[in-house]
Amino acid sequence: MVNMNATEPNTKARGRLASILSDIHFWVPVAVLMGGLLLLRFIR
Amino acid sequence: MPPVAYTQIGYTTESRAKKLQLLGILSGFAAGAWLGAAEAPTKLVSIGISPMVISFIMVIGVFLARWSLPALILGTSSVRADVLRAPHLVIWALLAGCLWAVANTLTIFAIRDIGLSIAFPLWNSNSLLGILWGFLFFNELRQAGWRRLAGVLGGALVMCAGATLLAIASSSGHGPAAHSLNGVWAALGAGILWGTMYIPYRKAYLTGMNPLSFVTFFSFGELGMMTLLSVSSLGLAPLWQELLGARSVIFWLILGGFVWVIGDIFQQFAAKYVGISRGIPLSNSNQLWGLLWGIFVFGELHGRSSSVYLEVIGGSLLMMLGVGAIAFSSATGQEQTRWKEAAIRESDRYGVAADFVEARMDGRQLVTEAKPSRGALDWLLVVFATSVFVIFAAMARVPQLSLHWGPAALLTAALFLLLIICGLALWRTTRFH
Repeated sequence: MVNMNATEPNTKARGRLASILSDIHFWVPVAVLMGGLLLLRFIR
Repeated sequence: MPPVAYTQIGYTTESRAKKLQLLGILSGFAAGAWLGAAEAPTKLVSIGISPMVISFIMVIGVFLARWSLPALILGTSSVRADVLRAPHLVIWALLAGCLWAVANTLTIFAIRDIGLSIAFPLWNSNSLLGILWGFLFFNELRQAGWRRLAGVLGGALVMCAGATLLAIASSSGHGPAAHSLNGVWAALGAGILWGTMYIPYRKAYLTGMNPLSFVTFFSFGELGMMTLLSVSSLGLAPLWQELLGARSVIFWLILGGFVWVIGDIFQQFAAKYVGISRGIPLSNSNQLWGLLWGIFVFGELHGRSSSVYLEVIGGSLLMMLGVGAIAFSSATGQEQTRWKEAAIRESDRYGVAADFVEARMDGRQLVTEAKPSRGALDWLLVVFATSVFVIFAAMARVPQLSLHWGPAALLTAALFLLLIICGLALWRTTRFH
């Protein structure tokens, strides 16, 4: 028998992760951070 | 005024909304003053230390303050409760800290390559980017009306023009080391990174996270990234040697970091209550305060030509005009309804209780929330941070500088006055929620 209570937090966490990864508010800062690190590497 | 904490009101009254707007504007002013004053202790540090090491030590001071101040004000139990409600925001706090550290490092290269007068206005464009992100992602300035839109946009542009004049005046006579395209890219990059850093700020506050909780996780991203950049730039052993060599000035640098955190906390409350499109330009008035310290306390422009003083007066007037235009363009009821729509979108997406988000937007605590309290861990954090400051203060060397103590006392008094007025207003209206 599957213990629903045990799997619920995992499902919740997976759902949250999916929400983060499909959120443009996450990707815009990540892209800008990557760009900033590349720029730093280039000018150093 | 009746206490508003620990009560639940189903709607935000107009007078309450106005009060929160005023609180945000006041927080923006206080942020400008404290962020500007953070430069003062660093001016006491004589040259000969790598800029990367100066930045690294300041970030250590920032880290200590970002944990001890929230522990002292609300207690870490409040931070834990916030994180349990919206754990996803920890990622945005870390991201914001990383963005800050990279931007700060880029400014060092920008100043080296093109000088402060060109670099500062370029990275000061962060407020314009903040306005754009606020408009695109968080419904800021939507249905604000053309007068308010013009007030915010025009105010930010006028402040940029004022910042340009002040930067030209403050760097006159020093001259940039060498004009190079690299420096321009570095300054623009810093502006873009800082402007984008406000996306996590606004996201956190629309979802109900307390600024005091957000800054604690922000500091991990900040210190982690700064450590990575310092070690990769200098190497571990040389970095340690530089830190040992700088031990007599570490106190002044971590003090600068501490003062900066007080300003940043006010900036976070400004971003929470008036949004990033208004809060960020207001706190960008820090340049004006930095110049006041430079001119009156450190005598930086002493003996310069009258044209330099005209630039300072003109730049300061423009900055004040821009600040005034933004301060008088507070959000109306229609615009605030759009903010709430953005907040509902966030609470739906991440499963954060809608009543919690609404209460926090209104600067209140839910009836069901536990009253914040300080425990042994909080006092341990405060004692630890205080001890670090005392130890480095004992090692500190008093710099041989001719300071003007009268203006220093006046500016310090103004700082504490703003701290008391704004701190009390935040406490009375929101209990720091």
